[in-house]
Amino acid sequence: MRRAWLLAAVLAAAVATPAIGQSPARPGGTLRAVFSADPPTLDPRDATDLTSSGVIRQIFDALLELDEHLKPVPALARSWTVGADQRLYTFVLRPGVKFHNGREMKAADVKYSFERAARGKRPWVFEKITGARDFIKGTARQITGVRVVDDLTVEVRLDQPFAPFLHLIAYDAASVVPSEEADKPAFASRPVGTGAFRFVSWRRDDQVVVERFADHFRGPAHLDRVVFRIIPAEITRFNEYLAGELEYTDIPTGRCRSVQADPRLKGEVAIWPTLGTHGLRFNVERAPFTDARVRRAVAHAVDPSIIVNRLLEGCVQPARGILPPAVPGYAPGVTRLAFDRDRARALLTEAGFPGGKGLPAVTYHFNTSDANQRIAEVLQAQLRELGIALELRRLDWAAHIKVVDAGGAPLFRQGWIADYPDPENFLTVLFHSRNAGVAGNTSRYRNPTVDRLLEEADTMASGPPRWERYAQAEQIIVDDAAWISLYHYASRALIKPYVKGLERSAQSTAPEFMSPLRKVWLDR
Amino acid sequence: MAALVPVVFGITLLVFTLNALALGDPARAAMGQRADPEVLAQLRREYALDRPLPVQYLTWLGRLARADLGQSFREQRPVLDVILERLPATARLALAATLIAVVAGVGMGALAAARAGTALDHIVMGAAVLGISTPVFWLGMMLALLFAVTLGWLPVSGYGNGSLAHLVLPALTLGALHTGTVARMTRSSLLEVIRQDYVGVARAKGLSERVVLFKHALRNALIPVVTVIGIGLADLLVGAPLTETVFAWPGVGRLLVSAVGQRDVPVVMGAVLLFALVYVLGNLIVDLAYLAIDPRTRRGER
Repeated sequence: MRRAWLLAAVLAAAVATPAIGQSPARPGGTLRAVFSADPPTLDPRDATDLTSSGVIRQIFDALLELDEHLKPVPALARSWTVGADQRLYTFVLRPGVKFHNGREMKAADVKYSFERAARGKRPWVFEKITGARDFIKGTARQITGVRVVDDLTVEVRLDQPFAPFLHLIAYDAASVVPSEEADKPAFASRPVGTGAFRFVSWRRDDQVVVERFADHFRGPAHLDRVVFRIIPAEITRFNEYLAGELEYTDIPTGRCRSVQADPRLKGEVAIWPTLGTHGLRFNVERAPFTDARVRRAVAHAVDPSIIVNRLLEGCVQPARGILPPAVPGYAPGVTRLAFDRDRARALLTEAGFPGGKGLPAVTYHFNTSDANQRIAEVLQAQLRELGIALELRRLDWAAHIKVVDAGGAPLFRQGWIADYPDPENFLTVLFHSRNAGVAGNTSRYRNPTVDRLLEEADTMASGPPRWERYAQAEQIIVDDAAWISLYHYASRALIKPYVKGLERSAQSTAPEFMSPLRKVWLDR
Repeated sequence: MAALVPVVFGITLLVFTLNALALGDPARAAMGQRADPEVLAQLRREYALDRPLPVQYLTWLGRLARADLGQSFREQRPVLDVILERLPATARLALAATLIAVVAGVGMGALAAARAGTALDHIVMGAAVLGISTPVFWLGMMLALLFAVTLGWLPVSGYGNGSLAHLVLPALTLGALHTGTVARMTRSSLLEVIRQDYVGVARAKGLSERVVLFKHALRNALIPVVTVIGIGLADLLVGAPLTETVFAWPGVGRLLVSAVGQRDVPVVMGAVLLFALVYVLGNLIVDLAYLAIDPRTRRGER
């Protein structure tokens, strides 16, 4: 981890040095950003969506942050050390960091913030810390594994080594909050942090406004203000962008090729890979999908190229395995089951359903969206070739996830966007047997070999031996057809040419989550 | 006013039952994709979702009796605050749309009646039918494309801190539907009134056609029109969520739509209650308006 950090620091320094001839950042101006929905909360404890995190990241800091190469770099912590047992992390805080209310941040605020957030909606961020489980359950008064050494030093002890732990520390759930503000009921509507931007106002369903915090520990941000407009209809966001009222927006569904052909817009199109995969899952506890041969037959019968090239206009990446290529540890050698109808038919016959005979109609569940509907229709047509009748069941998100959780969906779509860039966040969360059900493994897939590989990898230091174990587990899962990958996500955005410094890293998901905005400036 | 209680009771019971029948769990919807079973159970207790449905409904009613609409699951704030801060936006939009509908609708209807059977009549009434049958979402998109994106005269969307310019396009969109209905009713009602004896008398007295039409006939013709305006409140309530969505207008209609999506039951109940009250009170105002327009309805003379 230490070596990785040093490398990251060198890379960051190289990136930060402006190239010769490049103009320096110009201060001032308002960035007009956009969301498709109102953030449910601005409290880091309760956020579970990208929109909320998109604002929270500007108002709060965590001990660390991820740079554009997704490496943890110092933020509120000036430095850190990891014990030889890979379980004890010691963070040294920057002195003199101020909250927006003027008070200085201390190590006690870190402990308070972690304990507060551990009882919030993302407890899994903290559950690796010693004593956290008891605290979350309410049987302990504090998380014993978080210790305030002095005003500027915090120690965090883990039950066992966990390689992506620094990613968790850099996650917005682990933002540091001031207790005197966070205890007020209005905190979720009027947040106070240490971030580069300070909360100004929030008119629900209309806009959230933040302004530069002059006393930020990194020095003031370039922008005076950021206005996050909340515009639910994608066509309206597009029109606002065309009218010059937004600095960036997403590309409306079905317009990816046409904006690239439009002479006025093609220079403003930005498409970059992000940390997400769209796939199909089975409930492996429900017949006929208890039989891996039937699952494999479905996997061989699906041709994702039509979905990628025709429906999604080639603006996403076709998937090979489960991990998107942007994740460190991505294994290019892991391959999905190839599109092969003959093989699919043979497998069905082997499973006792020649030509699909004797196979009951399969219900395919998906949540409401135009793209999901069209994908469902393609799947229906492709499986019909095999003699499998697909019945489409379209539900809104709340109903969809309820049915999937309850195990009521034999075949369903699932998109997954990584919380942090590590194979563990895909493979362990989605396929380890201990997460079967609501915690992420909605397939209820149980494979002792996979469990063992994942457990080993999760506690190893990052590096090729760790990646090798994830790759093995991933290939087993793919071969077992517990998951059928269709494509990897990409952010598709229009960005005005005068907007500089907007990070297009794999964790930036347009338009909700463009981070961090303190680096952005307007060249006009 | 006494009729209000059973109506409100019936509507809230219906909405609560529909919510209970709909799949989906507000606690689960709030957790994102990666839920923690223990926290989920805690949240369900906190939201009182672990209690039997009749108990949940009666608790809600009991709170309502104390003017407490409960807490929003999603926003973790009192439902009353959540609704009240969006109410001014919806009220402005509904009033502006009604104003457009009344002025334009009565004007168009009177014009068509005065020129009944002519080409002008057909054009005006054709426009009215177009207004009724054009989908709100599409009309809003087209107006925004023309007046905001192409011509640049008006803002594309948003509340703009309450500026009049931001109100124009949403009000026109929402008002269009209703304008058509009012215009058609005004025309047919006027044509009926014109055939009555007292209009003939007015004409025989040598009054100009304009005075006959606008001073004598229109006033009586307006009685059914007022009814249509009252009923039209329902159209406004139906159209509000769509108009508010396409114009990013921060109103109660959009709130209701997103609350249904999140299964934020207290907000859904509160917003529906508000809509029901507006509708019932709107009809009450219509009844009172009869008294002002038609002296015969005063003091129970009918």
